[in-house]
Amino acid sequence: MTVLATPAAVSGRPAQRTPPKHTGKKVALVAALVLGACFSALPVLWMLSSSFKRNSEIFEFPPRLITPGFSFDAYTTILTDPVKLRFFLNSYVVALSVTVLSLVVAVLAAYAFSRYEFWGKKTINIVVVTVQAVPPITLLIPYFGLMVTLRLYNTYQGLILTYMVFTLPYAIIMMTGYFNTLPRELDEAVKVDGAGPMTALWRILIPISVPGLVSVGVYTFMIAWNEFLFALTLTRTEDMRTVPIGIQLLMGQHSYEWNEMMAMSILGCIPVLLLFLFFQRYFIGGMTAGAVKL
Amino acid sequence: MSQTTRPPRDALAVRPPAPARDVGARARSISRLKRRLTPYGFLTPTGVLLVILMITPIVMVVTYSLLDGVITNQNPAFVGFDNYVEVLTNPVFFTAVRNTLVFTISSVVVHFAIGLGFALMLNSPLLGNRTKGLFRVLYILPWLFTVAIVAVLWRLLLNPNGVVNYLLGAFGVTDGQTEWLASTSTALAAVTFINIWSGYPFFMISLLAGLQGIPRELYEAARVDGAGAWSQFLHVTIPQLRPIIISMALLDFIWTTQQFALIWMTTGGGPITSTEMLSTFTYKLAFTRYDFSLASASAVLVLLMSMVLAFFYVRHQKSRD
Amino acid sequence: MSKGAYMGRFIAVAGAAALVLTGCAGGAQETGSTTDGGTTTEGEVTLEFSQWWEPELPAGAFRALMDQFEAENPGITVELLSGPYASTKEQVVAGAAAGTMSDVVGLDGAWVSDFAQQGAIADLTAVMADVGYDDSELASQVQVDGATYMIPVVNFVYPMFTNDALLDAAGVAAPPTTRSEFADAAAAITEGDAYGWILPLSLEAPNGIQNDVMSWVWASGGSMLDGGQPALVDNADVSSATEFIQGLWDDGVIAPGAFTMKEQDKVEEFTNGRVGMMIDSLAHVNLIRESNPDLEFSISAIPADDGYDGERGIPYASWGIGVAENSEHKAEAFKLVEFLMSESVNSELSSIANAFPGNVGSVPDFVEQDEVFGTAFEIYQSGFPANEFTGLPVAEQLMRDFGEEFQRSLDGQQSMQDALAAAQAKWEREF
Repeated sequence: MTVLATPAAVSGRPAQRTPPKHTGKKVALVAALVLGACFSALPVLWMLSSSFKRNSEIFEFPPRLITPGFSFDAYTTILTDPVKLRFFLNSYVVALSVTVLSLVVAVLAAYAFSRYEFWGKKTINIVVVTVQAVPPITLLIPYFGLMVTLRLYNTYQGLILTYMVFTLPYAIIMMTGYFNTLPRELDEAVKVDGAGPMTALWRILIPISVPGLVSVGVYTFMIAWNEFLFALTLTRTEDMRTVPIGIQLLMGQHSYEWNEMMAMSILGCIPVLLLFLFFQRYFIGGMTAGAVKL
Repeated sequence: MSQTTRPPRDALAVRPPAPARDVGARARSISRLKRRLTPYGFLTPTGVLLVILMITPIVMVVTYSLLDGVITNQNPAFVGFDNYVEVLTNPVFFTAVRNTLVFTISSVVVHFAIGLGFALMLNSPLLGNRTKGLFRVLYILPWLFTVAIVAVLWRLLLNPNGVVNYLLGAFGVTDGQTEWLASTSTALAAVTFINIWSGYPFFMISLLAGLQGIPRELYEAARVDGAGAWSQFLHVTIPQLRPIIISMALLDFIWTTQQFALIWMTTGGGPITSTEMLSTFTYKLAFTRYDFSLASASAVLVLLMSMVLAFFYVRHQKSRD
Repeated sequence: MSKGAYMGRFIAVAGAAALVLTGCAGGAQETGSTTDGGTTTEGEVTLEFSQWWEPELPAGAFRALMDQFEAENPGITVELLSGPYASTKEQVVAGAAAGTMSDVVGLDGAWVSDFAQQGAIADLTAVMADVGYDDSELASQVQVDGATYMIPVVNFVYPMFTNDALLDAAGVAAPPTTRSEFADAAAAITEGDAYGWILPLSLEAPNGIQNDVMSWVWASGGSMLDGGQPALVDNADVSSATEFIQGLWDDGVIAPGAFTMKEQDKVEEFTNGRVGMMIDSLAHVNLIRESNPDLEFSISAIPADDGYDGERGIPYASWGIGVAENSEHKAEAFKLVEFLMSESVNSELSSIANAFPGNVGSVPDFVEQDEVFGTAFEIYQSGFPANEFTGLPVAEQLMRDFGEEFQRSLDGQQSMQDALAAAQAKWEREF
């Protein structure tokens, strides 16, 4: 994807409504965008380049982007290792389940926070915000004991529930904020017709909250996909481990498998990127602006 | 912002007309009860999860912090606040607080600045959808990697013999000899920079989603009033994004104070104590000094500090009513 | 439609989703329920063995040894649980606290005292007495309060590696054997991108203090302890070694980036020919050869104080083994320990790991086949293995405390004597 980074950037349709006086602005804008892209993408380009190198070339000086040892060996090693492929499968199962379940649970809670006044609202709000403030590393031991007691140790459910707990506060806060920006008249109108709050939520709020849902969903997915500490502690066997553990397993006591580590994280990010590409049409301007009109 | 939250009676404003007096009164009271219980119903799944899986371990950590030699000792004794006293009299704790504040505040501010800047550029009507799509993908790249890889990648890049020094040296910006992570004068800035790199996309995505939600009419109205681009930004964009910005800043603040793996895997809190954070300080208490009681006390102190923040956040929400 | 019906429908959907999840992970749950290595059927025992060794060894090699063990001991199966080295300690601590620790665990000498104190690992002296094991063939045992808790299976020694080409170019004829020769050689090598020595002092993995700093003390017959108590102050051996390193630092012959460098980085720098000399694990010999086949290097003993002619201590790190206190199958677990420590298996394991054996009778095959390892084995046998951190309480914290003060002094914030005094004060608190 990094190959696309350069001049193709300018290819944006010169929309007919862009009058000529905007050309200068547009050039400046594209220049700024390219500069920003250097900041965000060049380190990733280096990761990509390292994944094609031999381990001995990683530390060579002066550094080169493409080295004589260029090969796809690191990728072949990973893609032909059933244990590593299983790591990918596990990551998908966990991350996708967490995303869907978190969104469902968070939307319900956010609806309550956004549309109702009730006793204890403020307290619950404070709790939701602050539970994230405990350093996870200190929770590790009690949490581990809890999962063993609940028989969730070394299961998908254990990981899924754990990540839901991690992602819910953010998901709830953001969805509440998003619902708050949507005028109440929308759902009140449906309720006047005798429909219940679930109808208002499902038929009215959800469809126009898609950008919010997508951004929260992407966040949830990323957390579940990339978390390491709890994934390691709460799983025990190779058939339950996820990609970040697979990457750490390449960091040995004596040496690192640099190229395989890099290749594995590149492979790991591709599905996420595809997912994002698929959903990103929901970020396209104007789509919701119309719906929110009223 | 006035439309966002309503006083409670508003929710009861629309009532079906009562068909008959007796039945109507009962039906009303049942429906009122139902209405009152509904939000709790919506909150049940969240509540169950958080209570069992979050509150329980937190309560256990609080208990640990009041005992002596928990985990390592079979019968830990109750020592009251001794552990807190010990943590609070350790000068390194305050170094950690200071570093954490510097690290966190700079990260959050720059996350916001970069996130907003990129989001605005990506939302510009001057660009075609393809261009926007391409840059959107490029801009979220740093976010797609697990923190271990981010740490390893930047250790490679910032190595004294790494690419960054090579490029800076080649262009004559520096002498190409900087020990970014290993020098007491640059280490904190370097880890902060890495954290900024890896964390801004998520700020950007949230703001981008927020920008989509701003009704175009507001801009049109502003233009009719003769507002320029800057004035529209100040008087339409920022106020409209305000709830998102504040929530994001708060959350980012809390998360950044928790950032452990990135610092641990790049500098281990060093050189000396120049990148020691509350998270690395707590980790070391638990897993290298093997004192889980002290570590729990330190964790509870972090929790208390965050509660103060959360309190202001909720008060801010109240003031919007 | 009433909201009640909608609520009901939602709950049904959520319930169904939960069921689906439970169903698809059902298989996993079964394994989850046998967390403490439960007995599967009458007379059959499954031993869990958690370690970080399997990924370090050639693919399948460690499993093959376990298969051999299973064949020799019908009724016992071994399940290998492998984790990343850097996180092993946390996992053992958490496992011990929740009572789900594996029956047999791989250990590092620096952790033993802590785990023993926690009651996580079993007193092997008692187990050995129970099963009537003759411990005379064990090269060493790691003890806490007089009882054995860990048996080193294989040892990785840390001699000095020198880059032949860099030494030649600097006009250094032979690897230095004394500190002053070393300082001169380091100064001669340092030029442009090349540095004389490399010193990893990362606080994340502070074992550089053990392998690259204290090793200088041990190589001259010194000790950092006195009667088991810290003795950093008024200790001529410690003081001269640390002042010596401070001198090298001030001369600018140590490669940049030391304060956050880890062992893995040290090797990469040496392999790339940018460093003349390093103290490093023999485990890296094959890696260096694979990564840079053109690099000619030699191995020699760590230089000693000028005029010292006693036996030289050589630092080492071990893959140690222990048995979980809460294991229901201690006797079977010890069979596995016995198997790994037996002469032939121990020879084989040390051969594939490029390490020195924990059994006194074992000789790894590479010693005869490979000149470098042969030399190293001679150094090993003519000196004595020295690692005073093994078995100390919170050993890793001791290294980190020392490392912090040591960095302060290298950075010019305090004198080396102040650093030693400060480290001494911190250590006394931990003992």
